[in-house]
Amino acid sequence: MSVPTHFKNGRSGAGKKFVADASGSAHAKFMRLSSYALTPLGILSAWWLVGLVGQPFEHVRAEIGHPFPALVLSGFAALGMIHAREGMHEIILDYVHDAELKQKAITANKNISITVAALWVVALMFIAAPH
Amino acid sequence: MAKTDSNDFAQKRPLSPHLSVYRPMMTMMMSIAHRITGVALYVGMAVLGLFLLGAALGSSAFSLVSWLGSGFIGATLVFLITWAIFHHILGGVRHAFWDRGLYMDPKGREFLALGTLIGGVAMTVILWTARLLVG
Repeated sequence: MSVPTHFKNGRSGAGKKFVADASGSAHAKFMRLSSYALTPLGILSAWWLVGLVGQPFEHVRAEIGHPFPALVLSGFAALGMIHAREGMHEIILDYVHDAELKQKAITANKNISITVAALWVVALMFIAAPH
Repeated sequence: MAKTDSNDFAQKRPLSPHLSVYRPMMTMMMSIAHRITGVALYVGMAVLGLFLLGAALGSSAFSLVSWLGSGFIGATLVFLITWAIFHHILGGVRHAFWDRGLYMDPKGREFLALGTLIGGVAMTVILWTARLLVG
């Protein structure tokens, strides 16, 4: 007995909204490659972030105001937010099936991730600026 | 969504991995935790970005955002963010093992998933202890 459905194919027509955008290999490669860099950057960043807890203004500026911590934290934020954007993209594709809403979520993800990375890098450039 | 009939079919279509019929396992829990810590780090980076912006703009701007990095709320926030960083890193390490075909037997994969959980907590505690000792 055959059951007629609208799903002639799982990847086209009505089934299209349940599959990814066929860019999975590049995504998986990027996530792995970026994580190699993010592992040392993340551990070092965690070290300096803990050092900021409960500290007054001058101490916070002094702690991360040197070139090395400022560069590591900037690198962590910039690469980390690209990694985070790719990860969030995957989550959007998994859970948002409405085509219009999906497009809005992907655009919002792009803008928010760029804003957060820029916020970190610009703030650190101010903090570590030579006097 | 104008085509209501095909949409109904779409909603009734069973989706993998049938979450409700799965027995909770360590690998599954750590997979979910990996995604949750990833989203938490996205939000945490935005919050810490505001903290850094305050520190960049000056002492009066810093006084508006200093609670994000001090007191019970700030300390808890940064503690959870550092734990999320370590848990997410070890989640990646776990996948690096699996990518190379290692630890894929039933005992090995549960061991690795448990190691993610214990290792993440341990690394967070070691980092905070070391930071308190160094000052």
